[in-house]
Amino acid sequence: MTAADPDRSMPRADDPIAEVRNLTVAFEMDRGQSRVVDDLSVDIERGEILGVVGESGSGKSMFASSLMDAVVEPGVASGDVTYHPPSGESVDVLELSKGELQELRWEEVAMVFQGAMSSFNPVRTIRDHFVETLSAHDYNVSDGLERARELISDLYMDPERVLSSYPHELSGGMSQRVLIALSLILDPELLVMDEPTAALDLLMQRSIISLLDGIQEKHDLSIVFITHDLPLVAGLADRIAVMYAFEMVEMGPTDELLTDAAHPYTRALLNSTPNLRAPIDRMRSIDGESPDPVNIPSGCSYHPRCPMADEQCREVDPEPYRVDGDHAANCHYWEEAAEAVPAVTEEFDDAGEMGAAATERTPERRSGEPVLSMDDVEVYFEQESSAFSLFSDPDDVKAVDGIDLDVYDEDVVVLVGESGCGKTTLGKTAIGLQRPTGGVVEYRGQDVWQARDLVGDIDIPYEEIRQSLQIIHQDPGSALNTHRRVRAVLETPLKRWYPELDGNDRRERILGMLEYVGMTPPEDYIDRYPFQLSGGEMQRIALIRALLINPELILADEAVSALDVSLRVEMMDLLLELQDTFDTSYLFISHNLANARYITEKADGRIGVMYLGELVEIGSPERIINDPKHPYTQALRWATPELDPDDDPGERPMRKIDIPDAANPPSGCRYHTRCPEAREACRHQRPELVEAEGEEPGYQQAACFREYEDHEYWDSEPITDEDDADSVDSGTGPGTAEADD
Amino acid sequence: MDWRVERLTQGLLTVFLVITLSFVIIRFMPGNPMDYILAQMSGDATGATSGEGGASGSDMEQQYELVQAYLSMNPSDPLHVAYFDYMSNTLRGDLGQSIYYSRPVSDILGRAMPWTLFVLSWGLAIGFVLGIITGSLIAYWEGSKLDVGLTAYSVIMGSIPYYVLALLLIVYMAYRWQIFPTNGRVPEGVTAGLNWPFIKGIIYHASLPIASTVVFSGIASLSMRGNAIRVLGEDYLRVARLRGLSDGVIATQYVARNAILPLYTGLMISIGSLFGGSVILETIFRYRGMGYYLVQAANARDYPLMMGGFMLLTICVVIALFITDLTYGLIDPRAGDENREAF
Ligand code: SF4
Ligand code: SF4
Repeated sequence: MTAADPDRSMPRADDPIAEVRNLTVAFEMDRGQSRVVDDLSVDIERGEILGVVGESGSGKSMFASSLMDAVVEPGVASGDVTYHPPSGESVDVLELSKGELQELRWEEVAMVFQGAMSSFNPVRTIRDHFVETLSAHDYNVSDGLERARELISDLYMDPERVLSSYPHELSGGMSQRVLIALSLILDPELLVMDEPTAALDLLMQRSIISLLDGIQEKHDLSIVFITHDLPLVAGLADRIAVMYAFEMVEMGPTDELLTDAAHPYTRALLNSTPNLRAPIDRMRSIDGESPDPVNIPSGCSYHPRCPMADEQCREVDPEPYRVDGDHAANCHYWEEAAEAVPAVTEEFDDAGEMGAAATERTPERRSGEPVLSMDDVEVYFEQESSAFSLFSDPDDVKAVDGIDLDVYDEDVVVLVGESGCGKTTLGKTAIGLQRPTGGVVEYRGQDVWQARDLVGDIDIPYEEIRQSLQIIHQDPGSALNTHRRVRAVLETPLKRWYPELDGNDRRERILGMLEYVGMTPPEDYIDRYPFQLSGGEMQRIALIRALLINPELILADEAVSALDVSLRVEMMDLLLELQDTFDTSYLFISHNLANARYITEKADGRIGVMYLGELVEIGSPERIINDPKHPYTQALRWATPELDPDDDPGERPMRKIDIPDAANPPSGCRYHTRCPEAREACRHQRPELVEAEGEEPGYQQAACFREYEDHEYWDSEPITDEDDADSVDSGTGPGTAEADD
Repeated sequence: MDWRVERLTQGLLTVFLVITLSFVIIRFMPGNPMDYILAQMSGDATGATSGEGGASGSDMEQQYELVQAYLSMNPSDPLHVAYFDYMSNTLRGDLGQSIYYSRPVSDILGRAMPWTLFVLSWGLAIGFVLGIITGSLIAYWEGSKLDVGLTAYSVIMGSIPYYVLALLLIVYMAYRWQIFPTNGRVPEGVTAGLNWPFIKGIIYHASLPIASTVVFSGIASLSMRGNAIRVLGEDYLRVARLRGLSDGVIATQYVARNAILPLYTGLMISIGSLFGGSVILETIFRYRGMGYYLVQAANARDYPLMMGGFMLLTICVVIALFITDLTYGLIDPRAGDENREAF
């Protein structure tokens, strides 16, 4: 890589805190050398937040680890990583001795990992973690603990409680924040965050992001924020670097990169990212897959997927081309990229209100007899699971508490909510996998559990109900038996439900389906094992398996969230296409409002928002996204980042960050502990779902007193945090695991 | 409700059930101890008074009283009275009278129990420590020659039944080479007390039984090896290294503590079989502990002693389990927090 030609050089920082030059991380494997970072160079400016965006397998985590020479064995990092301390001599991180490294790590460069839950020693208290870090670096422990308290309370937690807790007593969001505090305990200069929020709910993600801004300023930090989620860093980062196939392909100031991306991959990535504003019918997935680190394509590594690739691209690896100022792209034809890969958002401003096409659909089509009807459904779990317990007071977790929901023919309903809100439980109850502890679940008028127990008049036998209600799991890999070929996986349901088919018919049918979902040639796929399939392909097999038996309703539990961003839109499109062909209804479960919006708007469906076991709002996507009535939906809306550099998250529309313990939900309106609009009346009374004001019936319903014409709410005193015992989050109870997803 | 109280209640319930069970066996099983003793008595009585035609009423009374003395239960009492008597006697520590030794059962077993506990606890402790050390060594040098050697050792140790090892030990170490005594638990001709020759003698006599129990270390080290390797791959270990913690802290507070946890659970599971094994072990070494007397009693059809031994062994297991359960809470903070339902 040469920097001689000013037009073909990467942007340089004026006052870099770290300079990375020609970094390569390689693993020796049986198949050959695997280069998970390939000749990467980047500068990190002092005091900036650099967002590094890449899909899974792009090498971004390895890049992160290299910054503190922490690449896991047997990986070997080579090249130069120069760290410039505020004063004193610069050091080459990769050349340091063990002792020097120990001084660099955590004192100068610290790191926050994705799995906070597993980053703590389960048998030591949080305080021990702070103390041992302080004493390992010969820092004064009592001063250090003082700093720890401050950091913890800056992150909206109660320091004393947190310090004396064991890791398992913290919820996922709390342990992630504690890990951030722990990373800052020695006052480092550079903080590397590797997908620090990926395992968290949107609300928690956004809350942490909005806290980070303040923390960065207060502690004068430089931050490298690594993520797969472009919108997430859009509002946070000063600059964004995009990684593809183990190197940086584009780098530039955030607003320029979002509005004027110069690399075809970046443009395609932006177009494929579901968000709340872009017109849905113009979103596209990127065809093809990321390359294998053992076998990186020659020339430009993006050429197999790039619509503009030509001879030069295949042969000459593009160096960074200066687009302007600090903006550079590794593409020979960056000047033409804007034309070749037009941005979907471009015409959006003219279109005015999003999704104008879908707005005028009526709720009329949701008339007639529902496929599935749930009436006042309750699912309570007993908490004590020990078989021997003699004296447990059954402290029930009300996973689902009094929900009515009807799903009609060819209907699409997406349930959204935070972990632990009961959306998965409700989904399972809907398709008869979970027996409700109260209420009725009916399939076409037949009580599912009566059919199961052979009680009363049974119009539809249980077998038929089971066949009609199917599920696609979140993780296709674990849902498929690894020892069975695709053919065997798909034949099982056919044999069970269509015994009259012979072997040939079955094969024909399977081949047809494979072809239909785009797995061609089907003869090639039918004899593969699951491990020979990519994530997207496995998800398709799972989908076919569900569809082969002609179900009436499919529950898709986070069916796209395990897929790479660039594949999600494609998968959702496929699901909807199949709906038209097979006349199925879908019940989706998602924690992501952008995905929910995409799918419901395309299918003219509804979004249902759940909070602590209750359905708090339900309505058409345009209403839920544009005019959410319930304060909780508004918070979710706030938490969904936009692909917009000016997207300032603004004030957090919640009084508390952490979700209350589901075993002990707040009285009255369950949201009152976090709701910014809460008043005294909300403490005692529970609001019912009512038609939103100013709307035709059927478009939008919300369970909030603010939708009641006159209610004692309007005359009661607002609840402020001073009224509550603790203004800082007291957090969730011990052992509350974020178990939903 | 505190889980400790819960465990304690469970333990007490088990003890109660065991005593009840032994009552039921004595009273109702065909060929049960009571019938047997009665038959023996009347046999003796018939023998002694032969020619005078059967046992008289007062003889029967006498016999019942004798049975009462042996078994803490009078066959002529109605069921509930007998049960109540039996319970209260047992709980007071009166386990009846041994037929063979003609001494109170509680006296015999009370003297034997410390010896059994002595051998088992040392066997267990040595096995545990040995297992942890070898297991950690293998994990640390995973893949090296040492790993292969020690793993082989652990596999062999883990798969030898302890009684086979005991037989080998006694044949070679005691009979062939006469390094250790073949039986007994105290040296002869030494005054009992806190003097070195006596203590040395005790250790000397206990060596072989303890050594046989140490096979436990094989299993322990294998599971320690697995656990330690697993912990070495945990995220928190990586984070700890990056935080710059010293190797000492990492080895003890991170690897060892977390790797021992599952081992401790394994220990709990094996406690029962350890006590059970003492029966065979003490017989092989003719080491007069509870197990030894239990076998003696079975051979001599000494039912009172047998029932007492059985009951006491069970109670020991229950107590040992209770202790490990309680101490587990000290080393694993997650203990007692039941896993919540995932929903
Ligand atoms: S260099 Fe060629 S193949 Fe690579 S991104 Fe640019 S146009 Fe596409
Ligand atoms: S009912 Fe009250 S607490 Fe609940 S969402 Fe409405 S305003 Fe907030």
